[in-house]
Amino acid sequence: MMRKATDGGGSENRDDHAAFSALLEDSAEDLYERAPCGYLSTLLDGTIAKINTTLLNWLGRQRGDLVGRKTFSDLLTVGGRLYHETHFAPLLRMQGEVSGIALELKTADGSRLPVLVTSTVKTGSDGQPLLIRTTVFDARDRRAYETELLRARQEAEREREELKRLNATLQRTLLPPALVNVPGLDVAAHYHIASTDKVGGDFYDLFPLASGTWGLFLGDVCGKGAAAAAVTSLARYTLRAAAVYDPDPVAVLSNLNTVLNHEYNGHDPRFCTVVFGLLIPDTERGGFRITLASGGHPPALLMRADGSADYLPTPGGQLIGALPDAHIATTTVRLDLGDTLLLHTDGLTEAHTAQITDGDRYGDDALLDFAQALAPTTASDAVAAVRDLLDTFGTGVDDDTAVLAISVPRPTSEGQP
Amino acid sequence: MTQLTVHTRATPAGPVIELSGELDNDSAPDVRTLLPRLTLLAGQQLVIDLTGITFCDSSGITVLIAARNHALAAQASIALAAIPGRVSRMLHIVGLDQVFPTHPTAQAAEAAWTPPTPTSE
Repeated sequence: MMRKATDGGGSENRDDHAAFSALLEDSAEDLYERAPCGYLSTLLDGTIAKINTTLLNWLGRQRGDLVGRKTFSDLLTVGGRLYHETHFAPLLRMQGEVSGIALELKTADGSRLPVLVTSTVKTGSDGQPLLIRTTVFDARDRRAYETELLRARQEAEREREELKRLNATLQRTLLPPALVNVPGLDVAAHYHIASTDKVGGDFYDLFPLASGTWGLFLGDVCGKGAAAAAVTSLARYTLRAAAVYDPDPVAVLSNLNTVLNHEYNGHDPRFCTVVFGLLIPDTERGGFRITLASGGHPPALLMRADGSADYLPTPGGQLIGALPDAHIATTTVRLDLGDTLLLHTDGLTEAHTAQITDGDRYGDDALLDFAQALAPTTASDAVAAVRDLLDTFGTGVDDDTAVLAISVPRPTSEGQP
Repeated sequence: MTQLTVHTRATPAGPVIELSGELDNDSAPDVRTLLPRLTLLAGQQLVIDLTGITFCDSSGITVLIAARNHALAAQASIALAAIPGRVSRMLHIVGLDQVFPTHPTAQAAEAAWTPPTPTSE
């Protein structure tokens, strides 16, 4: 039939089409009454003038109850009526058209029907408004879809909260709950979490060893997330166990290197950079002798009582876990009265700063300037100052940062003039 | 944020991996998974050309180590070419500057390679 119509001449073709359409839609009245949407015509005051059967069926009402008796607003829920009076009607008056507004209709049995409403103002030949024509679309499926979207979103938010809580818990298990009290030493530490979505890989600890000595370490595992956290946990417990077995800092880091290198090699290597320190109290002169071993970690900062500050470089030390025979470099210093030693991870020096400096990262030179301005200081003051510094970077700190400081307090003022 | 782009090419001296953009936690796996697919013969040299690297963090360093492990397992060697200043400082801090031979360009790395001498009968 289509082929025949196409093959036929011009006027014959149009006639065929008209006949074909008439066969199917023989009545404009029926099209109006039983359209797949609601039709409604109201006077300018809202009084219903005409309403189609589809909409009457949706509402469960008789034509006689509505036409000339009720207004469009009467069909709405209380909330919908309020919205209609304050937004819908004024907008319609101003623009002559309002489309796709979500409202709820009250049906005869008291249930609510979510709909999408579009209205236009019909004007006479003189341009004066005559009446309002409204189409009403059933929005139950759409509402169900929106409810489902909302539910899915709430679910996702709950899961995100749960993940944050888990991450925070996991993070805490990787750090000591509180640093131990070391006689003759002030100790302070801070862990800055850059992302609540992923567990970071920084770690530190300070703990007693045999015959009055103490061990401390601070390190940074490459990467983030659960896989990095597993390495952090392994590194932390290996360091503590190795130090008990043999507290020599080179031996401790060599042990960790062997453990990590056996565990992770090939195409997904894992490593960490770490500083391990052995603290031996000087019972005669006071203060401590400290041997620091570094496995590829940024150097510690020593802030002296005389106001000077310097890095304690350990050149040649190699990261731990990546190479079967990593070289570990050491340095030994005395920590005297009023001296402060600060260990940090590179989240601090790699932070983006507001100032445009070299590559816009904070950098080692800036940290040294910061330490020189700070000295002489104490462990708690130094850590507090670093916290303030991190605060000024704000979101510029994109990696976790750990700092650990120790200082030998000066004698209290008693006995002095 | 510049994405990492990875380009590989074969030379008589061995494959060259050209990296540009940011080598970090997100992009590191892209390079690691590429390694096993490289044709690397014993005695050849794997060159990683870092000319276009704008950022490299500790995860980026794992890529270099994975590449080294891969080369050593294939009885080949590895070299880094055109290391940006920041990456160079980082390699120095973690002590890897002693582990990787470095060259100013990939061409220089290729020129420095000597073919393995054939084993005498």
